[in-house]
Amino acid sequence: MSEGSMLHGQQKQAGIPALLAQARFGVVVRPPYYRWNGERFESDRLVGVDSSRIASLSGSIEVVVEGDFVGVVADSLALATDAAKQLKVEWQAVHQTPEKAPESDQAPSDSPLVPSQSYMHSNHAYGWPSRMRWGSHPSWVIADCGDQQLSVWGQTVTPAALKQDLSRLNALDISQIELYRVDGKHASSQASGLGRHCGDDAAVDAALMSRAVGGPVAVWLDARYAKDVQALGQAQRISLNADIASSGEIARYHYQQANLTGEVAAVGLLLSGRAAITTSSAEATAGEQDTTPFSPYVFRDQYLAARSQPDSLSTNSTLMGIQQTFARESFLDEVARESDQDPVALRLRHLEDARGIELIESVAKRAEWQRAFNPSVNSLPQDLLRGRGFAYSQLPDRNQRVESGVRSAWIADVEVNRVTGDVQLTRLVVGQDAGPDVDTDRLQQTLQARVLGEARPLLGQAPSFDEWGDGSRALTEREYSAVLPTTASAPSPVDKGINETVGEDVLTGAELSPGVAVIANALFDATGLRFRQPPFTAKRVRQALEASSTEEAGRPSKLKPPRSMNRRWLAAAAFTTIAGTAAVAWPWKGAIAPISRPAANLYSAETIERGRLVAAAGDCAACHTTEGGVTNAGGRGFETPFGTLYSTNITPDEATGIGQWSYAAFERAMRHGISRDGSHLYPAFPYTAFAKTSDADLQALYAYLMAQPPESTEKNANALTFPFSVRSLMAGWNTLYHDATPFQPDPMQSELYNRGAYLAEGLGHCSACHSPRNAMGAEKIGEAYFAGAFVDGWEAPPLNTLSRAPIPWSETSLYDYLRYGESALHGVASGPMAPVVAGLAELPEYDVRAIAHYVAAQMQAPTGNSDAAVVEAEQRVTSAAVSSPGTEAGERLFEGACAACHVDSGVPTFSRASTNLALNTNLHSDHPDNVIQSILGGVHAEHVPGIGSMPGFADSFSNTQVADLATYLRARFASEKAPWQQVKQRIADLRQPHHNNTHSTP
Amino acid sequence: MTLKLTINGQEHELAVPPQTPLLNVLRNDLALNGPKYGCGLGECGACSVLIDGMAARTCVLPVSAAVGHEVTTLDGLSQGGELDPVQQAFIDAQAAQCGYCLNGMIITVRALLNHNTQPSAQQIRTALEHNLCRCGTHVEILHAAERAVVINAAALQEASHE
Repeated sequence: MSEGSMLHGQQKQAGIPALLAQARFGVVVRPPYYRWNGERFESDRLVGVDSSRIASLSGSIEVVVEGDFVGVVADSLALATDAAKQLKVEWQAVHQTPEKAPESDQAPSDSPLVPSQSYMHSNHAYGWPSRMRWGSHPSWVIADCGDQQLSVWGQTVTPAALKQDLSRLNALDISQIELYRVDGKHASSQASGLGRHCGDDAAVDAALMSRAVGGPVAVWLDARYAKDVQALGQAQRISLNADIASSGEIARYHYQQANLTGEVAAVGLLLSGRAAITTSSAEATAGEQDTTPFSPYVFRDQYLAARSQPDSLSTNSTLMGIQQTFARESFLDEVARESDQDPVALRLRHLEDARGIELIESVAKRAEWQRAFNPSVNSLPQDLLRGRGFAYSQLPDRNQRVESGVRSAWIADVEVNRVTGDVQLTRLVVGQDAGPDVDTDRLQQTLQARVLGEARPLLGQAPSFDEWGDGSRALTEREYSAVLPTTASAPSPVDKGINETVGEDVLTGAELSPGVAVIANALFDATGLRFRQPPFTAKRVRQALEASSTEEAGRPSKLKPPRSMNRRWLAAAAFTTIAGTAAVAWPWKGAIAPISRPAANLYSAETIERGRLVAAAGDCAACHTTEGGVTNAGGRGFETPFGTLYSTNITPDEATGIGQWSYAAFERAMRHGISRDGSHLYPAFPYTAFAKTSDADLQALYAYLMAQPPESTEKNANALTFPFSVRSLMAGWNTLYHDATPFQPDPMQSELYNRGAYLAEGLGHCSACHSPRNAMGAEKIGEAYFAGAFVDGWEAPPLNTLSRAPIPWSETSLYDYLRYGESALHGVASGPMAPVVAGLAELPEYDVRAIAHYVAAQMQAPTGNSDAAVVEAEQRVTSAAVSSPGTEAGERLFEGACAACHVDSGVPTFSRASTNLALNTNLHSDHPDNVIQSILGGVHAEHVPGIGSMPGFADSFSNTQVADLATYLRARFASEKAPWQQVKQRIADLRQPHHNNTHSTP
Repeated sequence: MTLKLTINGQEHELAVPPQTPLLNVLRNDLALNGPKYGCGLGECGACSVLIDGMAARTCVLPVSAAVGHEVTTLDGLSQGGELDPVQQAFIDAQAAQCGYCLNGMIITVRALLNHNTQPSAQQIRTALEHNLCRCGTHVEILHAAERAVVINAAALQEASHE
């Protein structure tokens, strides 16, 4: 661990891109089981690490072991990842303690709603996750650890907590730890956001490995850290119960917070054994003491307690305020609804603070709170649920003086898409009373920036690689500022002599603290489902909605649900406990209940437009449309080695199409190849590739397909040979060959490459045709990836280094080919590739360029066509100007039938073939198939209007003539290649049945 | 879907499938019968027209390919009531037996002269190599083409003097 290897001065300011050049790369190996159980951390015990298998890998690799922490450091990320996979780690399983309390927000109420004598009892618990999410976007986290100093570059929203973890890890003082942002600037020391995310875990991982190897180590933070999010579970648990008198008054109010701060240390620190906290529960209990949290409300009989630990982690008062407000305001909302009271009226009833009452009344008036409870006469699409929620907070100022603290009252309107679970914040009215001299404009600005910043992680987020358009912004991202009229009202100050040091930290805490509760309350109003733990991502909302709809379709009436309805929703909530926590919550093999077709106006025009692009990239229509048939109505036959398969109707027809498919059913089919009725789909439908598609893109695709006109069709029975006709055998196939992991960008590659990889590996399903399949019809991987294959009587040429093109492909040529259907140095797109190019024509230029970039990388192709390549092309054309001897029969045919377009006769000709045959990739292939197909069926480049179509000669040439011609072409234009063998046999095979080479048009 | 075509200097809007061969549109929809239907495979040249001054075999060319280009058929080759020099040369040389191939011959020679005003006899033979004539009028056709070179050059000279 020499000081000399550490980074100095200017290097530190350079930001991550420059730092990467000096760093080594670390990958962690987590135990099979590790978990924060709400009180302490438990994990499998490390028995031993056997690194003998990684000795064979070339390059320097170090294995870092500390406690139960295992990491691998190497000179490249690929090597480290490889080594981590090969490393043999032995773990000893620990006894897994049963969950002390349900982790899910959907915890059922402890008591049924049975009035005990004259009081109604209400009892609920609210949680806060240890990690709100894995991070804001995939990025590098670098740590450089020395004896006296530790520097970390990365993303964190809780710098104080991270510093505390790092100081424990290395026994360094907080002042010896420096945090930098990705761009090399010093990180803000103030906590923001809704709690820790895995940027902290990655930072500790990097620091652990950096300390062991004595130099900077980079760790890639991405969705894989979601595993830590799950393992760390719940950090905070707040139980509330109350007795409600028949008058509606809350007679007794009991608030119990499990721990005051509720922050869980980084996984690496916990695994290393260096986390000093809660080693023995007895010791921990000894130091514990209860403090009384503040509540703005006054109840006849109240008890409030929060347990604080003496050696607790950093106190993040902002987060504490948000958590307390979330629990209290959610609970009051529940009590109000259970006792048939207006949630705002209930609060006012228990508020004595004049300023607070004035503020709430003013906000309720401005937001027209009462109107929301009139019978709904709006014309909402049936699958769009709308709700409104209220929340209020008052935080004491920094001197713990409540009277001078900030009051904040919020009313939020949300729209919930029942199908996708998307939650849109459509309106927010915020009233803030922060004392004298409130700058309304500034408050409004802060609210817009902060609230919208927080709403994104709270409601879900989109990673960068699936953005459509030119990579700059997502098409679907609503212009929040436009649709969200944030109203800040500032009532006149009551106390002129207020403490002037009402600082920004107090302001920010108060202004945000009702933000989470207000959305939870609005969500309940919209859906009848209570979310007792953030975040409210589309996935969680969708799963909860699906689970509840299996109980009962319909929604509660606004505010005043009859008592029986309450029970039903509670039952639904109990059921969703499973849905909320299990990774795979929807029925795995069974049928997913049919739905009525979603209304056409359910989705925004932007979403449908994005879906149209997704459909174009996936080229759905190429397979799901017969020649001359209605787009996407299915019925097209595919001959496979296992028999004939017919594509299905994917128009939203309820009887014969996918009209009755819920989004869950659609997603399962796309990712796992299981039809709505539970039967397995065959992998001719490339769900193996589609599984890589992002959630947002799948939702948009669903929206687009459901918005198309339905078309009723008759189903074709597949004609497969036994045993392939048994669909359920596909279950085993999936276990063996299907990896449903969504696409993960490669951190070592550019944005363009990752975008291209996302499109090519996922929606574009290039490998479905261009990778060979094994005997079981599964795509081969590794070196065989993109190695070329045969599909539907055509050869899909290799897209890797095995390419046989006479002039090597370049990125420019690939782009021309994919964008315009023609590369001057290689030929035109035809056969099954023609509709692919036609589909790509719909995509933005950036996306086509990205695909070309990615494919070029697989081919190890240069960027542009060098002068040398152009000269070589000219030489090839010149040397192919004369015929080879011994092929006279073919030559006569060529001169008679082909030469008019394929030979330069000195006459300028508009309809001439633009690429000389000497450069044609197909003539240089190891297989004659595409040449034979082109002669028989012609070349139809209808997607490129400037290019003449080549007619097919199937009806004018005999098999012998086609064979003579193909042999002649090979000898003349690819003279350095060996003659093809058994050409005649291939011709006979390809003629029967006649393969037409157009996919989608007559 | 309608397509906009410019044919013999006139604009036409046609509602035809974009994959229809241009030849069918010219003969059937526009009654321009200069181009002939011969082999239908682009082998004989009887269907030729000029597109942007270049020869084009219209039996294999989808009509959509002509959008945005200037199409000239044999019917539109004469200018201001005067025959094109190539047409005049074929009349002068009486180079027709059945005459079915003459459209292609005239169009091909016209395209050649647009590109090369003084082609050699060998260049003329090469240019006409892929235009088929089944009556055996090849000698007269070559004579006509050679005369076309002369008349065309004279016409060009006259035009430059005016």
